[in-house]
Amino acid sequence: MSQPESRMQLFPIPRSVALIWVNIALSLIVAAIGLGVGFGQGMPAQQVILFTVITTAVLLWLLNYVAVSFETRAAERAAMLAAGQEPQGRPARQVWRENRVMVIAMLALLALYLLVTATVPEFRSITNLIAFLVLELILLFAFKVSGKFASGRSAFVGLIVLLALIIISSFTIDGFLSGNNVKAILLFASFLGIACIGQTMVALMGGLDLSIPFVIGSANIGLLFLTTLGVPSFVAFGFILILGGLIGLVNGLLSYKLQGQALILTLGTGFAVAGLTQILTSIGSAYGGNVFGTVPGWLSNLAAMNGKTFGLSFPPTILIWIVLAIIVIVGLRKTAYGRYIYALGGNRRSARLIGVSELRWWVLAYVISGVFAALTGALLLGWSGGGFIGVGDPYLFTTLAAVVIGGTSLLGGNGGYGATVIGVLVLQVLTSFLLGIGLSYEWQQFIFGLLILPMVALYGRSPHIRATV
Amino acid sequence: MSERASNPSTYLLVPILLIAVLLATATIRAPNLVSMSGFGSAIIVAAPLIFATYALMVLAVAGRGTVDLSVGPLLAFINVSVVQLNTAGIITSPLAVFIVALGIGVLYQLLFAAIVIWVRVQPIIVALSGFLALTGINLVILPRPGGLAPEFMQSWGLGTTIFSPVLLIILIATAAWLLFTLSPFYSNLRMMGYDERAAWTSGVRINIVRIGAHVIAGLFTGLGALCYTALISSGDPTQGTNMTLTAVTAVVLGGVSLSGGRGGAAGALLGALNLYLIGYVLATFNFGAIQAFVTQMSYGIILVLSLLLTLLVPVISRHVSFISPWSAFVVLGSVVVAIMLHIAGRGSFAPAEAIADRAPTLSRYLLTEPASAGLPALSVSPFQTFVFLAVAGLLSLVFAARLINAEARARRMGLFLYIFVALLLTGLFLAVTLQPDATLFGGAAP
Repeated sequence: MSQPESRMQLFPIPRSVALIWVNIALSLIVAAIGLGVGFGQGMPAQQVILFTVITTAVLLWLLNYVAVSFETRAAERAAMLAAGQEPQGRPARQVWRENRVMVIAMLALLALYLLVTATVPEFRSITNLIAFLVLELILLFAFKVSGKFASGRSAFVGLIVLLALIIISSFTIDGFLSGNNVKAILLFASFLGIACIGQTMVALMGGLDLSIPFVIGSANIGLLFLTTLGVPSFVAFGFILILGGLIGLVNGLLSYKLQGQALILTLGTGFAVAGLTQILTSIGSAYGGNVFGTVPGWLSNLAAMNGKTFGLSFPPTILIWIVLAIIVIVGLRKTAYGRYIYALGGNRRSARLIGVSELRWWVLAYVISGVFAALTGALLLGWSGGGFIGVGDPYLFTTLAAVVIGGTSLLGGNGGYGATVIGVLVLQVLTSFLLGIGLSYEWQQFIFGLLILPMVALYGRSPHIRATV
Repeated sequence: MSERASNPSTYLLVPILLIAVLLATATIRAPNLVSMSGFGSAIIVAAPLIFATYALMVLAVAGRGTVDLSVGPLLAFINVSVVQLNTAGIITSPLAVFIVALGIGVLYQLLFAAIVIWVRVQPIIVALSGFLALTGINLVILPRPGGLAPEFMQSWGLGTTIFSPVLLIILIATAAWLLFTLSPFYSNLRMMGYDERAAWTSGVRINIVRIGAHVIAGLFTGLGALCYTALISSGDPTQGTNMTLTAVTAVVLGGVSLSGGRGGAAGALLGALNLYLIGYVLATFNFGAIQAFVTQMSYGIILVLSLLLTLLVPVISRHVSFISPWSAFVVLGSVVVAIMLHIAGRGSFAPAEAIADRAPTLSRYLLTEPASAGLPALSVSPFQTFVFLAVAGLLSLVFAARLINAEARARRMGLFLYIFVALLLTGLFLAVTLQPDATLFGGAAP
C-alpha cells in the first residue's frame, strides 16, 4: 500500500524520480515561453522575472500534486487487482457505459455549437471556434481526470470551470484581464465571499440560511440610519454587527428543533427583520423606507473601487476577504470547532455520542452567518454610498449558488470554505463574462439558475432508493 | 391514544381559530366585505394564492422535503406567456388559453419530476434553480407589467358578483381534488410522502406516483395563473417572489407537513384564506407609508410562528383531543356569520329600532298590543333579562361543547353538521342577496 500521508504534504514529491524530472522540465518550458512572450511585449524586466518565477513554482507544485494523486490511485488499483476484485463485463460495452455521459455531453455541445453557428452569422469567428474547442477539451478533462481525485473532486471541477471561463472571457472580451476589471471582479467576489462564510458553515451542518439577503439589506440601511442619527460611525458599525449576530442567534434557536425546515424558517425571519428595519428607519421620516445620509469616509475607503490599502490602489475589502478566507479555511480544518461542524454534519448521532453539543454549534453557525451578513451589508454601504434595502436581494440565491457550485453538500458534512471560494470566483467571473458579452441581469439570473442543476448533479446526487433500503 | 394524537385534522384547529378571528375583525373593520361585490372580489383576489397553495400542498405531501419555491415564478411565467401570446394574437380562444396555461404548468412539473427522479438531485435545489431561471426569463418575456389579457377574461376580474367563473374554477378544482383523495393513488401518494422506503418496499411504484403528484401541481399552478391573469387583466413578471413566500406561509399555516405525508385541501384552503385576510385586515389599518413594510413583517412573523406551531400541535392535541376541528369550525363559523349578519343588517335595523323605542318591550317584538292586565309577569326587569340571556348562552355553550366532543371521535363530518353548514351558508347568502344594496351600507331606504 502507498502512504496515505504523502498527499497531505505541504510540498508533494512523487516517488518516481523520472516523474520529478518531467515535471521540472515542463515547468521550465512553460517558464521559458512566458519569459519570451513577456520580453516580446516589452514589459518591465522585474515584472517579467517575478511572474516567471511565480508561474514556475505554482506549476511545479500542481504537477507534483497531480503526480502524487495518480501514484496513490495506481497503488490502490494494483492492490485491488491483487485482491482479485477485477470488474467483470464485455470490454466494448463497458467502455460505452463508462463514457456515455461524457460522449453525450460532448455531442450535445457540438450540436449546440453547430446550431448557433448555422443560425447566427455574427457567431462565426475564430475566437468562438477556439472557445468551443477549449470547452470540449475541458469536458474531456473534467470527466477523465476528475475521477482520479478521490477527494476534492468538486473543487477540481470548479477550478477547471474557472480556468475555462477566464480563458474564454479573455478571448472574447476586450480588456477582460485589465487591472480595473480584475479589481472589480475581486471586489464583488469579496462581498459575495464574506456573505458566503456563514452560508457555508450552516450548509456544512445540513441547514440553510435564507435570511442573509434581508440581513444585508437591513444592515445597509440600519448603519446609515444610525450614523445619520449622530452615533459615532465605529460604534454604529459594531452595533450593526452585534445586531446581525442576534438575528443569527434567533435563527439558530428557532430552527434547532425544525432543522428540516430551516430554509423556510430563515426566510420568514428574514422577511420579519427587513420589514421591522424599514418600519424603524422610516419613523419620523418623510421618505418611507429610504434613508439618506452621508457615509463615513473610512467606510467608503474600505469598500469603494478607488479605495487604498496601505497606499496600494485596491480596496481593503479584498484584503479583508483574503484574511477571513484563510482564517475560515484553516479554522475549519484545524480547530475543534471546525472538526465538530464536520462531525455534526456527517452524522448527528455519532457526534452526539462523542459529546458534541448539537445545539451549541448549530446556533453558533447561524450567529456567524448573521454577523458576516451584517458585515457584508455594512461594506456594501461603503461601496454604494447610499442605503437601499434591496441591495441584498441578489444574494438570496447567489450565496446558495456559490456554496453549491463550490461543491459543499447541502446534506452536510462535505465540502468547505475553500470550495466556496472557488464557487464565488466562478460566479463572479461568469457574471463579468455575461456582462461583457452584453447580457442583461435577467439573462444572468436565468443562466445561474440553469447552472446550479448540472453542478449539483455532478457531485451532489442522492443515492437511489434501492441503495437505501 | 397515540392514534388520537396523530389525528391530522388537529392541525386544522389553529387555522380555523385564526380564520374566525380574522373574518370577524375584517367584517367589523370593513363592513362592505359582506356584500356581493365584497365577497366576489375577495374570491377573485384570493384565487391565485389558493391555487399556488394547492400546488405546494400536493408536492409537500409527496415528500422528500419538496417545497416548490418556483411556484410563484412559474405562475408569473404562465401569466406573461399567455398575455404575450394573446397580445401577439396567436392564442385568443378560451380553449387554447386553457390548454397553453395548463400545458406549461404540467410540462414544467414533469421536467421537475424527471430531474428529481432520475438525476436524483434534492427537490429544493431543483426548485431554487427553477426559481432563478424563471424569474430571469419572466423579465425577458415581459420587461415591465403590461399587456392584455385574453378577451373572454375581461369580465372575470370585475368582482361584482360572487358567482364569477373564478369561483367555479375553484369549486371544480377543489371538488376534483376531494374526489381524487378517495382513490388508492392518493393513499399511495401519502404513503410515499410519509415513508418513501416503506412505500417502495411494499410495491408502490413511487416514480409514477411522484410524477402524478407533479402533474396535479402543474394543473393547479396553471389554473392559478389563469385566475391571476383574470385578476390583473394584464401581465406582471415581478410578483412571483411574493406569491411564493405567501403560498409557503399559507401551506405551513394550513397544517401541511413540509417533510411529507400530511396535508389536505381543507388546510391549504384555510391557510390561503387566512393569508389573504391578514393582508385585508392589515390594509384596513392605515399605516400610510410603512404599510408595505408592516405587511412584509407580519407575513414573516406569521410564517415563523406557524412553523413553531407545528412543533406545538402534537403537544396541544394530546390535551385537547376531545375537540373536533370540524365542529369547532361550525361553531366558530356560526359566530362569525352572526357577526356578519349583524353588520350587514345594521343599516336596515337601526331606523326600525328608533321608531319602536317609544313602544313597550313586548309590543316591539309581538307587534300587537298585549293585554295589559293578563301578562304582568312578562314585563322583565333588567336582572331577569340578564339571567335569561346567561341561561341561553350557557345552554348553547353546553350544546356546542357536547357537539364538538361527540364529533371528535368521528373521522368525517356527521350528516347533522353538513346540514347545519348548508343552512348557515344559505342564510348568509339570502341575507346578502335579498337586501337592497342601499340598506347594506347603512343608507336610508327611499
